Amino acid sequence: MANPDELFLKVQKPSRYTGGELNSVMKDKTAVDVRFAFCFPDLYEVGMSHLGMKILYGLFNHQPWLWCERVFAPDTDMEALMRENHIPLWGLESRDPLSAFDFIGFTLQYEMSFTAILNMLDLAGLPIRSADRDESHPIVVAGGPCACNPEPIADFVDLFFLGEGEEVDLEVLELYREMKRAGCYTKAEFLRRAAQIEGVYVPSLYEVTYNEDGTIGAVTPKDGAPSVVRKRIIRDLDHCYYPDYFVVPFSDIVFDRAQSEIFRGCIRGCRFCQAGFIYRPVREKSPEVINKQSHDLCASTGYEEFSLSSLSTSDYTRLEELLPRLLEWSEKEHTNISLPSLRVDGFSEELAARLNVLRRAGLTFAPEAGTQRLRDAINKNVTEEEIFRTTGKAFSAGWSAVKLYFMLGLPTETLEDVAGIAHLGQKIVNSFYQNPDRPKGKGVTISISCSCFVPKPFTPFQWEPQDTAEQLAEKQQHLRDNVTTKKISLSTHDNKVSFIEAVLARGDRRLCAVLEEVWRGGSRLDAWSEYFDYDRWMKAFAQCGLDPAFYANRRRPYEEVLPWDHLDYGVTKEFLIRENKKAYAAQTTLNCRQQCQGCGAACWKEGVCVERR
Amino acid sequence: MSVANGFYTIRLVFSKTGRARYISHLDLNRTMTRVLRRAGIPLWYTEGFNRHPYITFAAPLSLGSESLCERMDFRLTDDSLTMEEIVDRINASMPEGLRALKASEAIHKVCLLGFAAYRMQLSCTAEELSAFLAQETIAVEKKAKKGGTKTLDIKPYLDVAAVQATENGCELTVTLPCSNDVTVNPALLTSALSAFCGREITASVLRLELYDLQRRVFV
Repeated sequence: MANPDELFLKVQKPSRYTGGELNSVMKDKTAVDVRFAFCFPDLYEVGMSHLGMKILYGLFNHQPWLWCERVFAPDTDMEALMRENHIPLWGLESRDPLSAFDFIGFTLQYEMSFTAILNMLDLAGLPIRSADRDESHPIVVAGGPCACNPEPIADFVDLFFLGEGEEVDLEVLELYREMKRAGCYTKAEFLRRAAQIEGVYVPSLYEVTYNEDGTIGAVTPKDGAPSVVRKRIIRDLDHCYYPDYFVVPFSDIVFDRAQSEIFRGCIRGCRFCQAGFIYRPVREKSPEVINKQSHDLCASTGYEEFSLSSLSTSDYTRLEELLPRLLEWSEKEHTNISLPSLRVDGFSEELAARLNVLRRAGLTFAPEAGTQRLRDAINKNVTEEEIFRTTGKAFSAGWSAVKLYFMLGLPTETLEDVAGIAHLGQKIVNSFYQNPDRPKGKGVTISISCSCFVPKPFTPFQWEPQDTAEQLAEKQQHLRDNVTTKKISLSTHDNKVSFIEAVLARGDRRLCAVLEEVWRGGSRLDAWSEYFDYDRWMKAFAQCGLDPAFYANRRRPYEEVLPWDHLDYGVTKEFLIRENKKAYAAQTTLNCRQQCQGCGAACWKEGVCVERR
Repeated sequence: MSVANGFYTIRLVFSKTGRARYISHLDLNRTMTRVLRRAGIPLWYTEGFNRHPYITFAAPLSLGSESLCERMDFRLTDDSLTMEEIVDRINASMPEGLRALKASEAIHKVCLLGFAAYRMQLSCTAEELSAFLAQETIAVEKKAKKGGTKTLDIKPYLDVAAVQATENGCELTVTLPCSNDVTVNPALLTSALSAFCGREITASVLRLELYDLQRRVFV
């Protein structure tokens, strides 16, 4: 077999493939019982930025009996050389081919990475379908947000982890280790027993029948698998493993900094946002723990910047207590603190100045919708007053650029709402010129970025039809027509990618055939626009006799069996239906801290659900 | 040790071998910044809006080449550590393939750099190499500083120390100029050799030492 070494000088950015970065974990493979290949189905610079991978890499390698290595999707130049030279995909640490591992684990962060999973399995020399793999092959597992509807890849993955992985992943790996040690391991028996662990979904143990109209009739478990699989959560984040090191890459990656997780979940309940529902309930870490973990990480990596990671930094209840602690050492050590998704107002003047809040947060808002009515319908609690308060301060302080994020195609949206996006931009432009303290000699620039709404499972909009490509194109044009100033720059997303994303997000098992077809046709890194081929997808749907509009553009009745109904993420269908109806009445919902809405996540009796109010 | 402007300049000699040879020059800069930050030494930071440690390298090494003699300058705020302690602390925070060998006060200015010695493992025979080196002139196309290419005869610049046959080809030990005025990269030599042999000759390159314009070891 040829050595990957010989390829490194023939490809772009070889250090993505070499391994050997600082803090990467080397072990003696003869001294461990289980080897795990943690695969991120995208390029190195994307995957290496992902916090979840760093947590599990640290946790797994913390176990003496387990060695976890990293694997990323090769770029097309490297893939061509690998195929030409018959070099199978390898783990970055040991450089052993993936077939030498016990487990191959994929993290499912976005639907458009699904084709990369098939391609990586194939590059590893494995049959892509679970049914074609036997005891001689590694077990293929997957977890992450897209595991909440894993049906479109159910035929390729042996076992899914639902929810947070720190406990359940190790329980499954220990079961495997025990069975191997006892000499009773067969793939079928292992999967049957793993399915008994809470948070484990083994798709091959569930039979799906369909009605004549193409909707799902029933999902029936077999071999004693539970009829509903509930996700796992970590109850106490303060006492949960968190890495005190990250692997430090040589090359520039997307998020090249230390990251400290401050809480999980989100109290807000924006109705389009899947993360806002599937990570419930909100559980915080204490400032003491965050402070120590941040400092340890910076010391072991040498990073000059660290960020506080969560879905909404400003919602951390003890931020005013945490930040001065962090600043105490970070200022001395020349380390920057980055505070993503931070609301600029509500800080004391002194803290705002020390943090240089404006510089860090930038002037970025995500109103998501152009009118207050639609913002109420989607339960996004950003108001125009709040935006003007912040931009006013920022313009007075010398800023002149604002970024705004919106979505097109939201449920109940009218052309008036679409025009509202342009009008909001115009009002900010006007407020700049009305501000007597504005920076002189500078024009204002408003960047408006509009993505297309994709309805997702476990949200109040899971029954909603996505706008068709024609509807979205019409709205995009209407928006462009309403922008009448060059001070506003407008960028809109490719609605074709969003359409495929919508199909996969709420798809069923029959889509596995489409994925295989489209991958065989050459699709790989579909998350990258230069590799995405819409026509190939449409051809694959036709070939498999499936209508993509059935998945993306159809309104589903509340009574319909959804492909993910046998998976339980805490939030109940009753709650989601209530929220769906409130959207149509343009009624907002209070956040978890203001008033419990009875979403179902209180079943764990943790975090915000049991906080004293 | 002399102090000026509130800092001491330290020159580190380090090797870059194995997996580390795929670290590009730009990435090496970032990597070394973090190595120094982790090392727990009294680093001097630049003043200004975006404060960072000041580091500079004497002679960038081509991606894929190994070296036993890289030079990096950085600044400390005080002289509380011995040179040995500095080397030890840096080594404790280096990734695989990078190794600090020696730290000392920087003496030569980087602009006085003159020559670099290399050992090259080549995939041609020793006879081919000897014939190549025996040519009257060795013309190569070189990128001109102002864009485009120019033709350069590198023959006068080749200071060959040894040619030796090896199991898989041959080994050349050679000193080449690497000064502000003229630099001959080993890759230039390899491409001229490939043209001479009429096939692609592969080279694995190890940089052995850096010299000043008077051919004294660069310190």
